[in-house]
Amino acid sequence: MRNVRIFYKKKGSMKFVSHLDMNRFMSRLIAKSKIPVWYTEGFNQHIYMNFALPLSLGFEGLYEVLDIRLIDEDYSLDDVLTALKNVAVKDIEFVSVSEPVMQMKNIGFARYELEFEDFGFADALNQFLKQEQILCQKTGKKGKVKEIDLIPKIKSFEICEKGINLTLVAGSEDNLNPSLVMDTFFSQCEISPVYYTVARTMIYNKDGEEFI
Amino acid sequence: MEIKAFEKMLLSVQKPGRYSGGEINSVVKDKSKVDVRFAFCFPDTYEIGMSHLGMKILYSQFNSREDIWCERVFAPWLDFEEVLRENNIPLFALESRDPIKDFDFIGFTLQYEMAYTNVLNMLDLAGLPLKSKDRKDLSPLVVAGGPCTCNSEPLADFIDLFFIGEGEEVDLEVIDLYKEFKKKGASKEEFLRAAAKIEGVYVPSLYKDEYNADGTLKALTPEDGVAPVVKKRIIKDLDKSYYPEKFVVPFIEIVHDRAVQEIFRGCIRGCRFCQAGFIYRPVREKSVDTINNQAKCLCESTGYDEISLSSLSTSDYREIEPLLNNLLEWTEDSHISLALPSLRIDNFSDELLEKIKHVRKSGLTFAPEAGTQRLRDVINKNLTEEEILTTCRTAFAGGYTSVKLYFMLGLPTETDEDLVGIAELGQRIVNAYYSMPEKPKGKSVNVSISVSTFVPKPFTPFQFEPQITLEEIRRRQELLKNSITTKKISLSYHDSATSFLEGAFARGDRRMGAVIEKAYKMGCKFDSWTECFEPEKWYEAFKECNLEPEFYANRTREYGEITPWEHIDVGVTKNFLVKENELAHQNKTTPNCREKCSACGANCYGEGVCFEKR
Repeated sequence: MRNVRIFYKKKGSMKFVSHLDMNRFMSRLIAKSKIPVWYTEGFNQHIYMNFALPLSLGFEGLYEVLDIRLIDEDYSLDDVLTALKNVAVKDIEFVSVSEPVMQMKNIGFARYELEFEDFGFADALNQFLKQEQILCQKTGKKGKVKEIDLIPKIKSFEICEKGINLTLVAGSEDNLNPSLVMDTFFSQCEISPVYYTVARTMIYNKDGEEFI
Repeated sequence: MEIKAFEKMLLSVQKPGRYSGGEINSVVKDKSKVDVRFAFCFPDTYEIGMSHLGMKILYSQFNSREDIWCERVFAPWLDFEEVLRENNIPLFALESRDPIKDFDFIGFTLQYEMAYTNVLNMLDLAGLPLKSKDRKDLSPLVVAGGPCTCNSEPLADFIDLFFIGEGEEVDLEVIDLYKEFKKKGASKEEFLRAAAKIEGVYVPSLYKDEYNADGTLKALTPEDGVAPVVKKRIIKDLDKSYYPEKFVVPFIEIVHDRAVQEIFRGCIRGCRFCQAGFIYRPVREKSVDTINNQAKCLCESTGYDEISLSSLSTSDYREIEPLLNNLLEWTEDSHISLALPSLRIDNFSDELLEKIKHVRKSGLTFAPEAGTQRLRDVINKNLTEEEILTTCRTAFAGGYTSVKLYFMLGLPTETDEDLVGIAELGQRIVNAYYSMPEKPKGKSVNVSISVSTFVPKPFTPFQFEPQITLEEIRRRQELLKNSITTKKISLSYHDSATSFLEGAFARGDRRMGAVIEKAYKMGCKFDSWTECFEPEKWYEAFKECNLEPEFYANRTREYGEITPWEHIDVGVTKNFLVKENELAHQNKTTPNCREKCSACGANCYGEGVCFEKR
């Protein structure tokens, strides 16, 4: 039995598939592909899948990572990729399959590209992110509201013509959603929110290296 | 529609997966290369519509033809409807996102009466006039099928053409005829007249309704050259008929999120309240091989990890044991669980019982429908209390601690004693649990009793019967509630106003169209959803149309009265229904089709259970 790591893109209408639905979808896709995968053993047996980072509803993901386990030693990485490509739907693109190098728990950052419908507030956003501290309210998983500072969680940012690229902390220990950055900006700078698209374009480990 | 604008719209509503399309196995074609575009509309939400087997069959079958592109359309939920209306976006099909008003066919499946206002709302959202007579062009043709079409009259003003019976053959015959007429530039009237000649096609505009002074139907007279009776279509050989190799697999969780394998159509039982039991006659089975192959194929193409057998009464499949043996041979190894709804396990071999032990069990459910043996005889439900108790004991011994029972309230001849009988039966099951030495230790039993209100339906022996009044429904619900004295029994029942209106629509005539339109204009939609249902508006609509729901729901119909479905022939004859009604009032049962033929008339199709060797 060995782990393999699948890299794929989640685009277009797949944006509207939530993480929970994505779980179900991927397990069906893998079942359909007939890849000899390992099923968990327990009361409710299911295909073992480990997603690197959940993706918010509405975001595109161009560097999505999923681990599965193979039970057939002779089944190659190329076989996995071919089998997946055979069953892929229009807006899921399987890019590559490899042996995992890094551990999921070492994920540290993710890069997001935001594009605004109207980016008349570029300067204001630049000023906003250059502050020494940005305090805001974050609602935790259990509905607990706590005050956090965004600045230490923003690794870097670049203002572009149509939007902004943000590299933010990510992972199971600490995670910052770009929506929280924007919500805070719009409310604290009293700018009426505009529609924007988000694509997560890369995942990094804690040392800032591309996650492989 | 521009993609970005579309996405923005979707992100502003709940469950955008309902509208995004692009699911596994959804069919996208080049529209310039097809002759007929068909919008298959389910007048309820995506989660409900996507669970419907009929739609899956016809969707795949239509799309198996190169010249047809069939797409899916569901009723948008309130939030998305608001967005559509605000942005002046006409209702579109999921696959192409093209407005359905430009399609050749807009086809509705009518599964239950409370969805009628959604049909109107979807036509309106599409940007089309509601009434058939106000849509002058040949296309889009608005057609409808499904069980409710056996009394099509309440929707007769809005629908151009109804399919009566099973659609696999007749739908394609109509589509082919349409292609021909479209090519020669024929008018809608010319087409409809020609289509009415196809067996199983009912064109309501070709019939004129007249009424007696007392409000009953006097006649439904066809125009010259139009058949006075429309005969239901059936598929004669289910082994040879089309069954999809693929289902569209939704992204979001739907009501029945699994592969569904049909095993037979019709039902041998003849329960007198059950419309499906009569309109789908005669019983026709698929062979074990067909079922096994189709099921395997479905699982492979969808990746589903669960498959469910579908029929009106699974345990009546003649070769159920060989079938399960065959299925279990491959399902276990493929990590697929087999769901066996409505299955009686008492007569299975020990070997098979051992095997299905590994199958993920759904809850233990029974449908005694009535609380006393007398009333069960009236409705011809041949299930005895001893059978229920025996199966419960077996199940309790096997570790089950909860049982669900389905009943109906307001059945013909029902007395208070029958209602109390429901509570007593529940109590006896509770007692059975506690009297067993081998009951699961330290666990309490839970018997949940679900009580719906009986609605008399066309083409059943109870089509002549009055439905009990709203006040009486409430009184009986209260009585039942007070008869239950233990917390081990939980009781739930249906909303009385919904049942009452369902009763009015089910046996409604053509004048009901005005009421539905009025209620719709007053804001009624999603009437089967408690959060949307506004009975007061409906009563107001009836009043404004000078009609009374009580006339349709609570009145006894004489055997001789002309019903709004008199011109529809489903095989089962009115004489048979009358005879069955009389037997019901004598507390007498009728044997099932395999015990003895009772000459219902369904043998006119020359197929099925009527000709099985015994």
